[in-house]
Amino acid sequence: MSGSNRLAGLKARPKDTTVEEVRRVDEVGEARGFLDRTPRKKPGRKPSPRTYQLHPKIFPEVGEAIAAEAERLGVTQGQLVEKMWDLYKSSHID
Amino acid sequence: MPVIVMASPKGGVGKSTCAVLLASEFARMKAEVTVLDCDPNKSLTRWASHGLPVGVTLMSEIGRSEIVPTIRSADGDGKIVIVDLEGVASQLVSRAISQADLVIVPMQPTALDAEIGSEALALVREEEEALGRSIRHAVVLTKTSAAVKSRVQKELEEQLRGAGIDVIEPSLVARAAFSELFAYGGDLTAMMNDPEMMTGGKVDKALINAQAFAEAVYERLK
Repeated sequence: MSGSNRLAGLKARPKDTTVEEVRRVDEVGEARGFLDRTPRKKPGRKPSPRTYQLHPKIFPEVGEAIAAEAERLGVTQGQLVEKMWDLYKSSHID
Repeated sequence: MPVIVMASPKGGVGKSTCAVLLASEFARMKAEVTVLDCDPNKSLTRWASHGLPVGVTLMSEIGRSEIVPTIRSADGDGKIVIVDLEGVASQLVSRAISQADLVIVPMQPTALDAEIGSEALALVREEEEALGRSIRHAVVLTKTSAAVKSRVQKELEEQLRGAGIDVIEPSLVARAAFSELFAYGGDLTAMMNDPEMMTGGKVDKALINAQAFAEAVYERLK
């Protein structure tokens, strides 16, 4: 191939890319086994990037009550959860 | 400018090698080439990490949701877009095919490659029907013998042509220089001119093969 830019004359064919067209392409692909293979994200809440703690899911009213009590005691919610854990351990585990 | 898509649901057939050779040759012809690495193995990103030829730009980490807008944004005056796809049957593949001006299906001359590769050819034809427009496509045989054309290769070529499938000549011969491009980066010309690069193969013959392949692809884009 020569070094001159022979490729400059090449043209792309017009391709409409409507949502409808993409949907049709997906349907045709799926029928032949070309499926959505995008890796699924791991379910669940991620550990805190700062403390690596797991954040349990609780009902909003419980969360609000814990936050209010921590504020009343002048401690962080984490410190309050630690106190609760100590109480739980002493009554159930020890 | 045209969008060329390398497609085959089978891995290891030479999609990335075809993409690298075409990108290098078209860049050498002064075209501005954008290469989209959509393969989770990141073969082209590894190649690029050692140095890209002048005129080639790489975009990587492109998923199913991004493929259509990325091709559209990369496409433009004086630009050729080459898409290297993952070796699986996915919606990413079917969406990329819908944006192609030429789909190249690389295939080693084996029954297994032919069987799995034919899925890509069938998908192209079904997309043509669904979209009501033609999508040019062709097979290139890869990793063929430099010495003789095997009986299997002859039979496969006959079968493909008999089925009305365009087969690109020349095939891509199994050359050490092709695989070593991924270790050194750049292109075959740079490899040939650099005595530090030990390829253990005939770079000059690899370059002739790559140029003839790029010329055959160019003819299909006119």
